[in-house]
This record gives sequence, structure tokens and C-alpha cells, in this order.
Amino acid sequence: MISIHNLTKLYGSVIGVNDISVDLGAGAHGLLGPNGAGTTTFLGLVTGQLRPTMGRVLVFGEPPFGNPRVLRRIGFCPAADLGLGTTTPREWVRYLVRLSGFTAAEAAARADRSLEQVGLAAASRRPLAALSKGMRQRAKLAGAIAHDPDLLVLDEPFDGLDPVARHDLVELVRSWAKTRSLIVASHLLHEVESLDAGLAVILGGRLVASGTAAEIRDLVASMPAEVRVRCDLPRRFAELACGVEGVESVRFDGGEVIVATRHPGLLVEQAVMPAVHAGLSVTEVVAADRSLEGIFGRLVRLHRGVKA
Amino acid sequence: MSESASGSREPARSAPLAAAWTVALFQLRRLLTRPRLALAAVGVVFPAAVMFAAGRAARGRLDPDLSVAMLYALIPEAVCVLGLLVTMCPVVADELERGTWPHVAVRPGGRRALLLGTWVAAVIWTSAVAILATLLALPVANVTDPFAVGRILAALVLLSCTGRAALFALPAVVMPKRALVASVGLALVVEVLAGVIPAVVNQATVSLRLRSLLVDWMHWKQKLPTEVQLFIDPQPAWVHVLAVTAVVAILLTAAVVILERRQFPPSEEI
Repeated sequence: MISIHNLTKLYGSVIGVNDISVDLGAGAHGLLGPNGAGTTTFLGLVTGQLRPTMGRVLVFGEPPFGNPRVLRRIGFCPAADLGLGTTTPREWVRYLVRLSGFTAAEAAARADRSLEQVGLAAASRRPLAALSKGMRQRAKLAGAIAHDPDLLVLDEPFDGLDPVARHDLVELVRSWAKTRSLIVASHLLHEVESLDAGLAVILGGRLVASGTAAEIRDLVASMPAEVRVRCDLPRRFAELACGVEGVESVRFDGGEVIVATRHPGLLVEQAVMPAVHAGLSVTEVVAADRSLEGIFGRLVRLHRGVKA
Repeated sequence: MSESASGSREPARSAPLAAAWTVALFQLRRLLTRPRLALAAVGVVFPAAVMFAAGRAARGRLDPDLSVAMLYALIPEAVCVLGLLVTMCPVVADELERGTWPHVAVRPGGRRALLLGTWVAAVIWTSAVAILATLLALPVANVTDPFAVGRILAALVLLSCTGRAALFALPAVVMPKRALVASVGLALVVEVLAGVIPAVVNQATVSLRLRSLLVDWMHWKQKLPTEVQLFIDPQPAWVHVLAVTAVVAILLTAAVVILERRQFPPSEEI
């Protein structure tokens, strides 16, 4: 569906995305990255708003920039909130569908159908300014899906939503992803994870990891994990830890010993337990966060050159 | 990558011009706000107020030809230019500011429809304001044939709006965030300065065409001193109308081509 080779986008001397190569097949994909990582630029290139400085991006086999055949098949919901005061969701969605080239009658029918789909039919005649952020997000989503695209691209769709609205929107997007392709960019990882999407992690404009959530976990698992141990004799515990297989570094942080190891289980078995048996008072053992959030944090730190 | 871009569902589609008309209607609805209506009301009343004040100052003996010249300066020139500055210049800047640009830019033909539709909306809105201003100013102006003068001014208003809106489309797409300042500069340099230079350069200006049409339709040519005739073009009216049409076509085509190639980087990543 999307084929990207050595894609680079520069804004003058500022790098938006840097030498990304990835193939995204049909289905759901999550794009993870903190603010300023390059995710919005990536989406801008995929949705034909931006042209690559170097490299190539093909969507449905063709470059998307200025290509109506491709653009007709893409639905895009940007991150920015809509600043349309008196315009109603109904007017807005009809307007967008008309811009996609549909007749007035078809646009009206499609707008009503998509507003119904996102659960905004009842509020569709109220001004956008009078709606909650969640409702405006739904209006944006309705505009993105009303022309029945093959690929839906959502940039930070869950940003600023309350938990109920977030849950509803996740469910909505999940049901969409069952039949069509989807790319969701977010820094709220648990929502992306809940979409059962393939993941691509972008940091500093570079693609640092891609695959399923499990594959990314495996990738990170092969890297040293951080285990923090609080005890009364940190130097004694450090001596024990140094002898355990897989330990790559040991350092002190206040009263804590921070051990970077490839086998956290072995560390507990061969250092923590013997330390307890030897009479050390071990008050806390905290293993690295294995949630996707933790993995993301580790990738960020690794990318910044900080040892795990 | 075996999928074909032409494999999408093909429902009933409308012509590109219909999309531009949709934008025009949408933009006109967006103009129906209190601040914009108040600004339009000022534009409607201002020429009548000036003519009334001038009539009072001249104690009712204001020369009819001078009255027409004043109406021309106030309506097809001042009201139209000011109206277009606030309706045409923000065509892209407004979309960027309101967060609607990405929605429009990803639609097939969306950029072109946005520009042409906003041009249509700006022409309709400003022409309506200017024609209402003419209707209000004519009764208080001392002119010999108000109906004939009204028709002439209405025609000049339409030409002024179509031509100047196309002129202001260029800075709006080239430098959206400085479009107003650039358009004022362009109006001064092109329409005021170049327009009065008696050389080939003024042939491309709307102001020369409007002035020449006013002189032609008011039958003022014989009355004008020779040195003033340097500032008009004595060709027939259809040539001037054709020239304005050509200017509009060239400027709008250039603006559409530029806008279709423009890229606006997401500011948060810069």
C-alpha cells in the first residue's frame, strides 16, 4: 500500500524526516513518536501535502503529491483543531465531500451517513465552536471518512480527549480498521497498542523500529534492561551483581544500584536472592517497564545515546 | 505495490468548477459574521458620507463631472481595493490559521478550488458592497444622470473587483502570512505607480483600463487637457474589457500553479 525508500524531507537546514525506508502493507499501522519527532512530516509526505527532498514515497503505487487519483483514496484527519466558529459539522463535512468531487446530493447523503457513523448526527447542526473537543474530533473524523477512502490517516486523533471520548474514538477507529487500511500517529502508546496495529517508531526524523508490538518488545528485550535495586549495602550488592551473566554495567544513584542486564531474571536469581540470604536488607527491586510505554521510553533513551 | 490508484469506487462526481463554487458559497457564509458585516456597512456608507460632506462644503454647487470623478475614486478604487484586501488576501493564511488547510490540501483539486472559490466569493462580496455604496451615494451626489452614472460605476466595480482580486491572489499564495502588507505594496507599486506611467508598463494595470473606460463612457475625452490624456488609453471599450479579462486569466493561472506546488511545513517540527 505504501512504499517508502530513502525518504528525506528538509525544511532549509532543519531535518523533518531522515532517510526512512519502510513498506507498509494493507491493514492498521501505528506511528509512534514524541512531539517534533517527524511523524507529522511523515504523514504530510504520505498524504501528498509535502514533496520529498530526497528519496521516494509511493501510495497505491504512485507519488501522492498533486496526484488526484491517490488523493481520492486517502482520508486525512490532521492534529490541529478546527477553528471554524459558526460552521456546523454538517456544513463542514458536506464541504469536504464536495471538494472530493462529489455532487451536492451525494455529498449531503455521505455527510449525513458519516456523521451518523461517528455518533455526531444529533449535534450536526450545532456550530463547531459550541461543541466539545471530542465532538470536534468526531467532526474531523467524519470529514476524513465521508468520501469512503481506502486509506485513513489520523494524526494524534486522541489528543486532548477525555477518557470516555477517547474510548469511543478508539472503538470507532478499530471498527474502521477491520475493513480498510489505517495509519494512526500518536504519542499515547496504549491507544495505538489497543488498535492491534503494526508499529513504526520515529525519533529525530529517523525510523528506529518497526514491526508488531511483540516484535518491538523482542527487539528491546535483546537490549540490556535496567533493574534498580535499593538496599542498605549498595557496594556489596554491586559486587554480587558484577558476577552475574549478562550484566553489562552497574552504577550507583543515591542509595540505589542500577544494573543494566540482558537477563533480569538471572540477576534476581543470582544476585538479589543471595544478597537477601547473606543478610542484606533489600527494600526495593524495580525491573524495566515492559509495557509499550516503557519500550518507547527506552528507544527514546537509546536514540539519544543514553545507556539503558 | 501491485495495487492501482484507479481501483477506487467511482461514485457520481461533479465538475471542478462545481467544487470552486462550493468553496465560494462556503466562504460567503463565513463572511456573514458581525465584524465582517460591520466592515461592509462602513464600506457602504463611507462614499455617501464623503459625497454628502463635499456637497455641503461646496454649498450644493459641486461640479457634476467632479462628483463622478470622486465617486469613481471612492467606489471602484477605494472601496473595492479595501474590500478585496480583507476578503482575498487571507485565502491561504486563514486556512492555515484555522487548521483547515490540511483538510483542503488532501482533496483532489482542493487547492485549485480553494483559490478560485475564494476569488469568486471576494468578487461577489466586494461587488455587492460597492454597488450598495453606489446606490447610497448617487442620491447625495450632484450628478446629471444618476442612472447612467450608476450603470457605469457598476460596470467599473465588477471589472475592478475581478482584476484586483486576481492581483491580490498572487501575494496571498506566495507569502500567505504577509499577504496583506504585500498586497498593499503591490496595489501602490502596480496600480498606483505603474498605472500612471505613460509607457508600455501601464498597459498591464487594471487602473489604466478603469480610468480609460470611465473617460470613454462619460464622454470626457474632448474635455480633458492634452497632458491628462497621457494617463488614459484611447482604445475602444472592448479592448479594455478584454485586457482586464486577460490579466485575470494570467494572474489566476499563476496563483493556482503556485498554490498547487506550495508546501506548508508543520510548524511544530520546525
